[in-house]
Amino acid sequence: MTILTPGANAPLPVGDLTVLIRHGAIPGAEIDVSAFLIGPNGKVRSDEDMCFYGQPSVAGGAVTLQGAANGETRFRVSPGRVPAGVEKVILTATIHENRAAFGRLPEIGLDAGGVIGKIPCAGMTETALILAELYPRNGAWKVRVVGQGFNGGLAALATHLGVEISDPAPAPAPAPKPAPAAAPRGPDLTRIPSVKPAAPAPAPKVNLSKVSLTKENRTVSLEKRTGRFGKIRVNLNWNQGKTGGVMKMFGPKPVDLDLGCFVEDRYGNRTCVQALGGGFGDYAYFPYAKLLGDDRTGAVTDGEWLEINGEMWAEFNRILIFAFIYDGVPNWAETDGVVRVMIPDQPEIEVRMNEHGSRERMCAIAMLENQGGAIRVSREVRFFPGHRVMDEHYGWGMRWQAGSK
Amino acid sequence: MPVSLSKGGNVSLTKEAPGLTAITVGLGWDARVTDGKAFDLDASVFICGEDGKVRSDADFVYYNNKTALGGAVQHMGDNLTGDGAGDDEQVKIDLSKVPEDVKKLVFAVTIHEAAARGQNFGQVSNAYMRVMNDAGGAELAKYDLSEDASTESAMIFGEIYRHNGEWKMKAIGAGFAGGLAPLATAHGVNVG
Repeated sequence: MTILTPGANAPLPVGDLTVLIRHGAIPGAEIDVSAFLIGPNGKVRSDEDMCFYGQPSVAGGAVTLQGAANGETRFRVSPGRVPAGVEKVILTATIHENRAAFGRLPEIGLDAGGVIGKIPCAGMTETALILAELYPRNGAWKVRVVGQGFNGGLAALATHLGVEISDPAPAPAPAPKPAPAAAPRGPDLTRIPSVKPAAPAPAPKVNLSKVSLTKENRTVSLEKRTGRFGKIRVNLNWNQGKTGGVMKMFGPKPVDLDLGCFVEDRYGNRTCVQALGGGFGDYAYFPYAKLLGDDRTGAVTDGEWLEINGEMWAEFNRILIFAFIYDGVPNWAETDGVVRVMIPDQPEIEVRMNEHGSRERMCAIAMLENQGGAIRVSREVRFFPGHRVMDEHYGWGMRWQAGSK
Repeated sequence: MPVSLSKGGNVSLTKEAPGLTAITVGLGWDARVTDGKAFDLDASVFICGEDGKVRSDADFVYYNNKTALGGAVQHMGDNLTGDGAGDDEQVKIDLSKVPEDVKKLVFAVTIHEAAARGQNFGQVSNAYMRVMNDAGGAELAKYDLSEDASTESAMIFGEIYRHNGEWKMKAIGAGFAGGLAPLATAHGVNVG
């Protein structure tokens, strides 16, 4: 049987195909094999055209990633169901975070419905490869072995394919010593939950009555004759990826922001409400503030929510709302965080974390103070290395010890 | 409308453009978009007699011999990368000045240092050969040979030939192993 090498093409058998990529493993680096449906301009038509572990079935099942195990990744391709407007289906391999180049592999094998191909990899400096393309020609489907790629990894490949990537992978790193064995990868690809890619964070709705607190306009006071404000909802949202959280899954781990608050009541009781250490708070009793869980999967797109019992506003002295980067490199510029404070019958208050020169882990965002029964909201956006330093700055006076989730 | 040829097909240029005297043969391909050494492709022309061989080494037109038949055939120069829109290489032919004993002009493209760079025509996208009428510039025929390319590093794209007093173009799309030297030898050139 002829073995196709890069540049060669051959007809595919009629009907549905199992396409098997035999890539093996590179110690210390993970190989992700994906498929892309490519339109007439050489680009994907949308993020829906990417078939990978985060979106294993595309085009109504025309291309399905069936799994990866033992150095092999398996697809099911139904050429007859590939939508019109798709000129080819390309298969790619990328090395997660560019931790190695494909030259570390002897070769990558392809079996497309029994048509065998081989890509010799010796000497390759690429960290992203187009392995092969499946395409219709005169009414029948063919496969061409490509074996070309990019040294710049997924980011360069994504650009080539017209995929917006919000979090480019880092530049190629020197290949790690082969000593540590690769972390075993589950056969069911559970590294990323196979959720439907999240929709992009909705653009803030136009709200003419919204109050944006800025450097120049730092505070706003809200009054109610009753002194009761109903349920105050605080939302922290941040940039979780322009492409709907799809491509960023390939890239470096997205920054996970935790929302929390310091609470001080009128009697001087003080506490910290935050997911760290499980201090989610309580809505009905002190601290009258409760976190609505902590989503670390990225599946929730509207960020984190904190509810403050505004009916009990008279009990409060002050509340400091903060964001904390629990792990990951503190890179506030990437997060572009925004906190919104929603109080029934009041204009929505927005504070944008748009000063992000800091590498500190913690950001005090807004202060809510009880001023004679009114709520005075002040923009803070100050960065601190941790809870203790922030506490000291604001004179809260709590005891601190390291905690974990 | 230019005639679109597929492998093996031919068209009468004279019928397409009555009174045709001078043509430009354009050869094109896409520049490499992936990382790695650029594709450096070279076009050559073999001016052949009745036996399908060059009449002399002077009938081999390539990057070191850009003119033949007293200027009737002119190679317009090498494009090293394939960048830019339009043809990557062009050869101008004044058909009215081609001697009677010339029966065909064979257009071949070879990949420079193909073996060292691990390159072949199957990796080159959108390779074609086309013929334009110098009078007016209209495209008369085009052959897109990408699908006929595979792992060869030299390819005969097509030929311009005489047939019953007409000039015709034939789409060949045949790969040739080994590169420019054996290709030239096969066409009767004494490669030094």
